[in-house]
Amino acid sequence: MGKILHWESDFNQALTRAKAENKPVLLDFFNPQ
Amino acid sequence: MDAVTYPNEQVIEFINQNLIPLRVLSDQQPLAKDFNIQWTPALLILGREGKEHSRTVGFLSGDELIPSLLLGMGKGYADNDEFKDALRCFDRLLAEYPGSDSAPETMFQRGVALYKSTHDPKPLKEAYNQLQDKYPGTQWTKRAYPYRLIGD
Repeated sequence: MGKILHWESDFNQALTRAKAENKPVLLDFFNPQ
Repeated sequence: MDAVTYPNEQVIEFINQNLIPLRVLSDQQPLAKDFNIQWTPALLILGREGKEHSRTVGFLSGDELIPSLLLGMGKGYADNDEFKDALRCFDRLLAEYPGSDSAPETMFQRGVALYKSTHDPKPLKEAYNQLQDKYPGTQWTKRAYPYRLIGD
């Protein structure tokens, strides 16, 4: 099994993790079409 | 990005180690309006407080995404006067991805970060000399052109 990216989908949850883990956020706005 | 870049194991490892990845639809409100999203893919680096520090728009291969992220992270740290972390990002990019599209701007930003952290203008002149040597003709070499006049 290959590795996968564990994307957050909630902005506030991502910021909470960013503060807890002391990391910046990569915010990807995407269009699935 | 989903077909080529994100499945790349080096990309996955880099993002999981260095960033909190957050993915939303390009029309998700209020984020799309708040960040003025006009085209996709749009990749933004946000600080821990949610402030935007850099963005790229359009497809990036794995070989270009990692250095682009390192540059964005470095600019974010520099914006917050966290120059040690900024220089760690810039130095890694220039050592591991010297041929990437992000390298010339990184060399410029490295000179700026060194100047702002030491108040010594010599790194600006050194940045111009390095840009002229390694990346002549790029916009970042042109932007650094005035720094050639800084005295030794």
